[in-house]
Amino acid sequence: MQSATEIAPDMPALATETLRVSGLSLARGGIELVRDFSLELSPGDAVLMSGPNGTGKTTLLRALAGFIRPDAGEIRFGDLPPGEAAADYLGWLGHADGLKHNETPRSALRFWADLTGQSRKAILPLMRGMAVESLIDRPASRLSRGQQRRTALVRVALSNRPIWLLDEPAGPLDGGGRARLAALVAWHRARGGSVIAATHQLLDWPEAKRIDLGAHR
Amino acid sequence: MNALGAVFAREARLAWSGGGGAAGPAAFFLAAITLAPLAIGPAADLLSAVGPGIMGFAALLSVLQSADRLFGDDHGDGTAELYLLSGVSPAWLVLAKVMGQAAATLWPLPVIGCLGAMMYGVPVQPALIGALALLAAIPALSLIAGFAGALAAGIRRSGLLIALIATPMMVPVLIFAAGAGRTAFEGDERAVANLLFTLAVSLGTTALAPFGIAAAIRSRLG
Repeated sequence: MQSATEIAPDMPALATETLRVSGLSLARGGIELVRDFSLELSPGDAVLMSGPNGTGKTTLLRALAGFIRPDAGEIRFGDLPPGEAAADYLGWLGHADGLKHNETPRSALRFWADLTGQSRKAILPLMRGMAVESLIDRPASRLSRGQQRRTALVRVALSNRPIWLLDEPAGPLDGGGRARLAALVAWHRARGGSVIAATHQLLDWPEAKRIDLGAHR
Repeated sequence: MNALGAVFAREARLAWSGGGGAAGPAAFFLAAITLAPLAIGPAADLLSAVGPGIMGFAALLSVLQSADRLFGDDHGDGTAELYLLSGVSPAWLVLAKVMGQAAATLWPLPVIGCLGAMMYGVPVQPALIGALALLAAIPALSLIAGFAGALAAGIRRSGLLIALIATPMMVPVLIFAAGAGRTAFEGDERAVANLLFTLAVSLGTTALAPFGIAAAIRSRLG
């Protein structure tokens, strides 16, 4: 089992922020998925969202990221709406991993570090933390689904943003991968970061708040 | 490296390593200008008269040929979401992306256009002016193709939609770019005016299209 202290890249301090959601209602294709949903996510918090397929977990994450406009309710990062704040505060892991099949993790992660203005120095320690450092020069098309997911998680950590939104982070991960994900999340929370994850898996994150979206209908 | 430079370099690198780089559009362009005389007939006068026009027309088609991948791939693999959350202005980002892709894949078009026109019997000077016009047209053509591709991203059989959206928007740049080569062949001094108009359309498209592409990407994610 990987312990949180083993991940120790040299990164600038997080600009921590509280996410507040109040009275949020979301509909897709005329069907109301989420009604009157409220949440306060302070630095260090973790939320695990569960619920059957089609209960709006992904939709809720996409609304928090500002891709979908809610029908009612308010989302605030500190005082700012998602449209203005998402790029400053959010680390995003969507349904897809954001990898190009003919690009190696080394090139891809260097690109994302450059694009978001982060140092490339953190790439190797973070890849070591997810146990994918030996794959750094292998094109993404030759990585397994789990290895691609681990690489995408490295990209999230590399962004050095305080609030992580993770859609099925552990979906294709094996037992070892889930332990390393837990360690990565613990490291992030210890730095004052927070996490919201939509998941079908039983993730054992200490003191994580559990929300069943099926109960919000 | 600054953010926009990183986008430009990555797009050029990805185009080389995965998409065959410039080979796709170049092969398409060559095939089109090789086949056209077989359909038109061997009359030398006729071929040299239509040469500049065929070059402009075939260049347009070869730009359209890869338009579905430019933003369709980003939409499918999750890159588009990450771009919008990157903190870099989306309009600048897509401009760097389209230009990186164009620099890596479309540079042979003016070269083939010039040589192709000469093989059709067009004298050197008008052939060169036609090639310059193609070079000036590339920003407009690739940004319009990118705009149509961004609107159609994630739609099945997006090629049909892209052709319907992009073709009418490419009319002015085709008229001026092909017109530059044609009027130069006829010894008309309007060739330079046509060339400048092509450049003007490209500059105008460069100023406006990135906002349209950014809005299209955002709406396709909603």
